[in-house]
Amino acid sequence: MYIGIDVGGTCTDAVLLSSGKVHATAKIYNTPENLLTSLVQALDSVMKGVSAEEIERVVLSTTMITNLIMERKYDPVGLIMMPGPGRKFQHYRNAHVHIIDGAIDYRGREIIPVDEQQVMQALKLLDAEGYDKVAVVGKFSTRNNQHELYVNDLIKKYQPHWQVEMGHRAGGRLNFPRRIDTTLLTCATKEKYHYFVQSVNEALDNRQIKAQVFIMKADGGTMTLASSEQSPVETIFSGPAASTLGAQSLTAAGETSVMVDIGGTTTDLALILSGKPLLSSQGVLVGDKLTQVRTLAVKSVPVGGDSVVEMVGKELIIYSERMGQPYCLGGSFPTPTDALNVMSLTKLGDKSKAWEAMEKLGKPVGYSPVEVANKIINLVVDTVVEEIENMFMGWEQEPAYRIWEVMQKRRMRPQNVVGVGGGAAGFVPQIATRIDGTPVLPPYAAVANAIGAAVAKPTLQVTMRADTEQNIFSVEEDGYQGRINQSPFGFEESLSLAKEWLIDKAKKMNIGDEVQNVEITRQEVFNIVRDFNTTGRIYDICVQTPRGIQWHIGAEGKLYEK
Amino acid sequence: MKNKTGLVFFPAFDWSIAPIHPEREERLLYTRDQIFEEGVLDLPQITEYRPQVATPHEIARAHFCVPDVDDQVLVAHRIAAGAAIRLSDRIMNGEIRNGFAIVRPPGHHAMRVVHGNRGFCSINNEAVVVEHLRRTYGIKRVAIIDTDVHHGDGTQDIYYHDPDVLFISFHQDGRTIFPGTGFNDELGGPTAYATTINIPLPPGVSDTSMHYVMDNLILPILKDFGAEFVVNSAGQDNHFTDPLGSMLITAQGYAEMTEKLKPDLAVLEGGYAIESALPYVNLAILLALAGSDYSNVIEPGNTGKIVENTQVTNYVRQVVDHLQLVWQKRGEISVSQLCGSNKYFQRQKNIYYDTEYFEEKQLEKVRACLECPGFVAIDSHAAQPKHSRSRIMAITVHNRCCKKCIEEAWEVYNDAKKDYRYSYVYMQDKTEDTFLIFRREDQKEWHTEG
Repeated sequence: MYIGIDVGGTCTDAVLLSSGKVHATAKIYNTPENLLTSLVQALDSVMKGVSAEEIERVVLSTTMITNLIMERKYDPVGLIMMPGPGRKFQHYRNAHVHIIDGAIDYRGREIIPVDEQQVMQALKLLDAEGYDKVAVVGKFSTRNNQHELYVNDLIKKYQPHWQVEMGHRAGGRLNFPRRIDTTLLTCATKEKYHYFVQSVNEALDNRQIKAQVFIMKADGGTMTLASSEQSPVETIFSGPAASTLGAQSLTAAGETSVMVDIGGTTTDLALILSGKPLLSSQGVLVGDKLTQVRTLAVKSVPVGGDSVVEMVGKELIIYSERMGQPYCLGGSFPTPTDALNVMSLTKLGDKSKAWEAMEKLGKPVGYSPVEVANKIINLVVDTVVEEIENMFMGWEQEPAYRIWEVMQKRRMRPQNVVGVGGGAAGFVPQIATRIDGTPVLPPYAAVANAIGAAVAKPTLQVTMRADTEQNIFSVEEDGYQGRINQSPFGFEESLSLAKEWLIDKAKKMNIGDEVQNVEITRQEVFNIVRDFNTTGRIYDICVQTPRGIQWHIGAEGKLYEK
Repeated sequence: MKNKTGLVFFPAFDWSIAPIHPEREERLLYTRDQIFEEGVLDLPQITEYRPQVATPHEIARAHFCVPDVDDQVLVAHRIAAGAAIRLSDRIMNGEIRNGFAIVRPPGHHAMRVVHGNRGFCSINNEAVVVEHLRRTYGIKRVAIIDTDVHHGDGTQDIYYHDPDVLFISFHQDGRTIFPGTGFNDELGGPTAYATTINIPLPPGVSDTSMHYVMDNLILPILKDFGAEFVVNSAGQDNHFTDPLGSMLITAQGYAEMTEKLKPDLAVLEGGYAIESALPYVNLAILLALAGSDYSNVIEPGNTGKIVENTQVTNYVRQVVDHLQLVWQKRGEISVSQLCGSNKYFQRQKNIYYDTEYFEEKQLEKVRACLECPGFVAIDSHAAQPKHSRSRIMAITVHNRCCKKCIEEAWEVYNDAKKDYRYSYVYMQDKTEDTFLIFRREDQKEWHTEG
């Protein structure tokens, strides 16, 4: 049996599943300041009457790191950066940032060596400021990590107790500014995350749960709890990913859907294209920091069931703030939920209060409560529909670097509008009508996020770049860089190397079963030609475990009765 | 919003002329690495767009592809041209202030008649975009400034008789480099005198003399001409490390030039120092367009000690002096001075297709009209290796042509249709955005409209 738990902003949801059937669900209102308590409560709730041995897998999705970052409760981190020639990064300079010499180029060749004196000077200043956490990041360090390793060694020598995070390990993709922020956040959250992992393990041990434990990532995949300690930032914004996978699981395989999760003050939208959740082409933005963390393409629209509605002149305006409960639930401001109630699209709240709210809004301008309610609902639907259209357009307009990428993309529009979360029921049918799709309000929509967590699968990816002129190869995800020991080393060899790497990685994480099939998502070969001679090749290969979900909980997703 | 710079980056990682040809998959690989690694695409002042695919009609507005667009133009070419169109549309609708199409394949050696690929080019990306701008937005005056080390002979050919398009090319002297043209006496036809300006430079020009040319010749001419839209054919082979050119320009030099030129749209042309120059020059130009600080974009190998030979400096000054005079006195040159009482001005051209090794022979006539730019009729024949030998007649009518010219142009078209010597007859009537192809073999005529 599989357990999925999603610790969200206000609630923690949990489900117990087996073979595509829902056995139990739970919804717990969070105890602020201690997410672990809610997590454990939810776990205990769905495990009632089930013995610990029956649990095969537990998957968690948590806002713990997201909250830490958004509330800026992470630890201060010093930064040593080696930007080399290119864009000016002087604006990074401040008390905790030290820009030093050292430069690597796009093929990993050294342009400017690191100056030991400058490193020592930076360490002295960081020490004087009281830092014991340092991020070391160089431009193109993913192509050659020698400079970062050199600085790391110096720190280890003179400040053995400092926690050092290196750019090539934390942010392997090409993007130096994002690598800096990803490395800083990794360094800043590791310690606190470690305590979280420890507490989760203790809680599971206490219940004799021996199942493998996974944690959700923003891209809809999972990683083992143990391996997540290396990259806590990968867990941010996993909630919307969980909801999207839930929507995917609750609809038929292969269909194109838009997931609409209407919450209190925001509505999350995600796309499932031909059965596969759409990944964002960019890393996630968290607070004011652009990271390299891969994420599903989720759009947050600042409108929800509890948003405050006001009449300005003859125009209705929906504000993104929440000022307490909807009027019909005892709040003091009219909200879209009140509008739904008046139109009998929700049973939530007190009917007379809802009418009162609409009347209050409409009276000064001569609208009847029903007119006002209609207008509010239309406004919400308009806003959401516009954003759905924007998302599809954005997807169609994603940059393309290859001829086939330009030519293969076809216009696509959703077959289904899948409503999940609390406020979906009232709006989803209207949204579906507007975009000519089928409204889907699946059973368990309220805990779709937890279902998504439970059906999520471990995902492993290996992006390998081999440069046979220099006889080197690197693995982006692990920050590994090594020499090629094979000769000849052609396309077949590079592909096998990437696959072996993936299989090894899976074995180390104890998820060897997941790599029976390996998907090749990119296989590019570039001839390196100098003076009309081919002097080497660059192989750029990306392999991964198949992306998918454990089960679809379709028509048979009835509550299991013993 | 208006302060943004648009970028279409289309490196065509799945296309090459041949595996070890300079125009191969690897060409923009390191540029990609540099631009991605610098994180410039995350800058709020830079927006990246997807290229679109130029339609056959959009291409036929600029070219006579023999026998037809699909026979000469690959998808890669259509995407590169489409990238420029995409950016021009965003500029015109105000979404961005300027744009940079870092695309391949290049285009500035592609002439009006296309029998094949020359100088790595099949269709002229700049001409396709200029025709799009004129037709879609009614833009009247356009300038194309070609800063590639090679003469932009294709662009010159297309606009030689067009007084509304100013074409300026500075390049390494044709006596020392492909395509062997672009001398300072190539100044445009009688109806478009001095709207073609060639600035042949000796090998060994550094940033200093290049800026001298910019400041004393190109910028003043550009100002006098008063273009509504400025396109930069941004070749990067003037770089001091380029394997084909012999110039000494640096990434800083290119960026500063871009800052002065302020093009609405820059389109990448040549540049084959794919490691030592392109990543840095492309980055520097992009930052310059976006109004960002490029002062730290110093390519390895640039020690700041590039010195120009004084002979070169002096020679460049003479070239500039001469052309300044030509520009100042351009008003004194009349159509009748250039072609006497002849009704037509005609040129004979031999055009060599260096990629596929064959030659085209052309007789180009322009009606020496006093009212309008005149129509142009081209009698061309070539033995394309992939098709058989064919002779064609192609007529192009400028969008400002007078009634008389239009009438006569259609007469020429209809007469040529009856003339057994021409396998294909083409008509490009820009007054109505019409394009016609007549095929003798089966007497078929195709017609497209925008």
